[in-house]
Amino acid sequence: MIIDPRTGSHPAVRFEHHPAVRGEIYRLNERDYRDSIIEETVRRTMKDVSAADPRMLLEETLYLERVRVKKSRASWLTAPYLASRNDRDRQFLSSIQGGMKQSVGLEDHRELLRSFSDHFATEICGHFEPAVYDLAIRMVPWMFSWLLNAASVKRFMPFGMSESLQTRLRVVGEVDQLQKLSRKGTILLVPTHLSNIDSLLVGYVIHLMSLPPFCYGAGLNLFSNAALSFSLSRLGAYTVDRQKSSLLYKTALKNYSTSILKRGIHSIFFPAGGRVRSGAIESHLKLGLLGTALQAQLERYQEGLPNPEIYIVPMVMSYPFVFEASSLIEDYLEASGKHRFMPNDGGEDVPLIKTMRFFWKLFATRSEMWVRIGRPLDVFGNFVDEDGHSIGPNGTRIDPRRLLMTEGEIKAVPQRDREYTGMLGQKISDRYHAENIVLSSHLVAYSLFSALRKNYPSLDLFRFLRLSRAQRAITKERFYEEAEACFKMVKHAADQGRLFLSTSLQCGDVRIWVEDGIRQLGLFHDAKVVRMDEGAVSTDDMNLLYYYRNRLTGYGFGCEISGETDEKGFLV
Amino acid sequence: MKKAFWSDSKVVILGGGSFGTVLANLAAANCSQVTVYVRAEDQARAMNSTRMNPNYLKDLVLDPKIRAVSSFEKAFEFEQDLVIFAFPSHATREQAKLVAPFLKGNEIVLHATKGIEEQSLKRISQVLAEELPILRIGAISGPNLAGEIARGEPAATVVASRFDDVIRAGEAVLATDLFRVYTTHDITGVEWGGTLKNIFAIASGILESKGLGWNIRSFMLSRALAEMVRFGVAMGAEPETFLGLAGMGDLIATCSSNQSRNFRVGFHLAKGETLEDVLRELGQVAEGVRTTRIVREFSKSRGVEMPITETVFRILEGEWSADEGLRHLMTRPLVQDERA
Repeated sequence: MIIDPRTGSHPAVRFEHHPAVRGEIYRLNERDYRDSIIEETVRRTMKDVSAADPRMLLEETLYLERVRVKKSRASWLTAPYLASRNDRDRQFLSSIQGGMKQSVGLEDHRELLRSFSDHFATEICGHFEPAVYDLAIRMVPWMFSWLLNAASVKRFMPFGMSESLQTRLRVVGEVDQLQKLSRKGTILLVPTHLSNIDSLLVGYVIHLMSLPPFCYGAGLNLFSNAALSFSLSRLGAYTVDRQKSSLLYKTALKNYSTSILKRGIHSIFFPAGGRVRSGAIESHLKLGLLGTALQAQLERYQEGLPNPEIYIVPMVMSYPFVFEASSLIEDYLEASGKHRFMPNDGGEDVPLIKTMRFFWKLFATRSEMWVRIGRPLDVFGNFVDEDGHSIGPNGTRIDPRRLLMTEGEIKAVPQRDREYTGMLGQKISDRYHAENIVLSSHLVAYSLFSALRKNYPSLDLFRFLRLSRAQRAITKERFYEEAEACFKMVKHAADQGRLFLSTSLQCGDVRIWVEDGIRQLGLFHDAKVVRMDEGAVSTDDMNLLYYYRNRLTGYGFGCEISGETDEKGFLV
Repeated sequence: MKKAFWSDSKVVILGGGSFGTVLANLAAANCSQVTVYVRAEDQARAMNSTRMNPNYLKDLVLDPKIRAVSSFEKAFEFEQDLVIFAFPSHATREQAKLVAPFLKGNEIVLHATKGIEEQSLKRISQVLAEELPILRIGAISGPNLAGEIARGEPAATVVASRFDDVIRAGEAVLATDLFRVYTTHDITGVEWGGTLKNIFAIASGILESKGLGWNIRSFMLSRALAEMVRFGVAMGAEPETFLGLAGMGDLIATCSSNQSRNFRVGFHLAKGETLEDVLRELGQVAEGVRTTRIVREFSKSRGVEMPITETVFRILEGEWSADEGLRHLMTRPLVQDERA
């Protein structure tokens, strides 16, 4: 890893304040430009659904929308933004319904369908306001360093010695290649998604790398906060409403994404579709949105646009602890275990307080967040070299246009393109594993979990997670023995380029990293995820231990649980 | 789809074994040019001058559109539309590494290799995908005894790929009035079908050697199919695939032919010879011996029930005699027939 010794990050990452870099996204500021995107989105959507019976599709969309609005519990008191939106939707739906009663012809239905698509596209479409962006990038470090210094003991230090974000945030990886490629083509950044803080962090890291702002889809629920809504909608965020389940909406959303990528606006997707419940690195990606990259790439080639390439850049975040860990893993276990899972008692904290606590703990306790920029790929999952050329598995340059040729010409072939997108998804997931930075806390959790598992190898996972307190403890010697063995495997994998080790693991001294890992895990959660007492190592919370341990699954390190993959990639 | 494109296309076949030669003749009927790559220069020269393959199927006259070459530079001197790998499984990766620099990305790649990569348990199409700058890859498999096709007897094959592009190419290039091409997206099932049948060819040789009749042979084949399905499903294949040409079809052809190496291994083992002696006598690699070991190990570790494979394994290892093996299979607990 290339690291600047002063910051611990890649040398091209600039923590000091610098002006925003301009990009194509600035044009979202222009009304005409936005209108042209909306119009294109509608045109594409109408084309995509042209094979369907317009009346059937209209009825279905109308029905699903009515059900959604009816079910929505957004009130003017708690979520005025959503409530006003629902009001508008209601009016729109009645007008469509009225239209359906009056007009009976095929063309009439098509026209109504078009206004439905237009309604969706307009809702999705994002703004961009340079002034808001400038303010935001000034605010974020200010906010971070306020938290940092307020939380840190160093606030008692003389002026000038105060902490800054750069001591806690490590941005490493292919930063300079990403910078270069962002000037040669269009970037689609695909980060892993563990926590709600990801969106904030990704946006800020993009600025630290001196890149222009990126366009991204933000859940409609985020817009319910007035302040957040104001800034999000002016930061290049477009609206994604997960409650809208109709085919027409999903098609419009995909087409919006295609349209902005085709215009060369750098974008961000979280390809897992949401936060990973299990704590593992994503292995099942949502391919719908990912497919828009290939579609946009194909059209950029067909139209002979300058700098046509779209580059897919994986980005992996590693946190020593995740503030939603308890609720995420419970969700996961509940969904996968059904009756076999018994939820813990006890309510949830108020999310806002929890968020504040997270940052407070993060900064008060010298823990490090790592962000790794992965090697860029083309839309087929081939690596891309410094100059933006695709590299085949044999190391020679290839022309990606050729992969889009069927029977001698570059054209869209839906079945082929779906398969390509599936392969890209697989490749991104593989790269997530390879670009993952293993922290001491992950390895400590993994070691304890596998030591315990070896005591009860035949127990069903859900029974295993309910071990009694006495059963959850092992001797210190046994723990260190397992930790050494696990370290050896991880080190070996790192040497083979299958993952990266954080600086605390690189030292290799088992006592040091174990102590560090236990401390990091203990910082945030009330329950001790790994507890080391006189002579014994145990856990207070098996579910959390499982959550943190899951980060190291998918590598075939042994001790797999049914449903995970072994070293050859086969399901156990 | 447009047949015109493929009738004007150029095809390269890598490997001039018996099946490679047969494929070349089939493709020549549908394309404008077929290039066959063989390793030995004199073989290439002989093929070009005598219009037959001196090593295999000497009665088969090569189509005038076929040219034989002995270097990859020559083989890929024109833009190619379809490349067919017809190397033995153990040579595939190493040859693919050499071929990779010549491919550009728009070619369709098919392979006609039955077997898997031993260490990694990777299927041939996975090996090719790791080495070639090509994404559209498919497999050809089925009951295709080369000699019969060469004589012009009617036959059928399966072309499998996740890509319709590959399937269409396979249909357009290989299908003739005497050679039907069936298609499927389940390449996993097709490739494992072509691999697993070799185990049962050994078993079939054992039965033949014992002079046993059709009842037990059919019994063995149908239970073998059940094992193939169970194993295939564990590998991510669709069970229906094994009912097709690449499963049942290939199983019957391989187990009925007493010419195959695997069959002969079983035949001689049952006579009481040791595996070492049999293999030395054969002087060739019998794919089934390695396949049996790999599949048995995997099925054991995953709890996939494969009693015939287990029995063949023990006989190969010399732990059981053929009679002991047979007794073992006949005295297993009784189960419902269709239980897969």
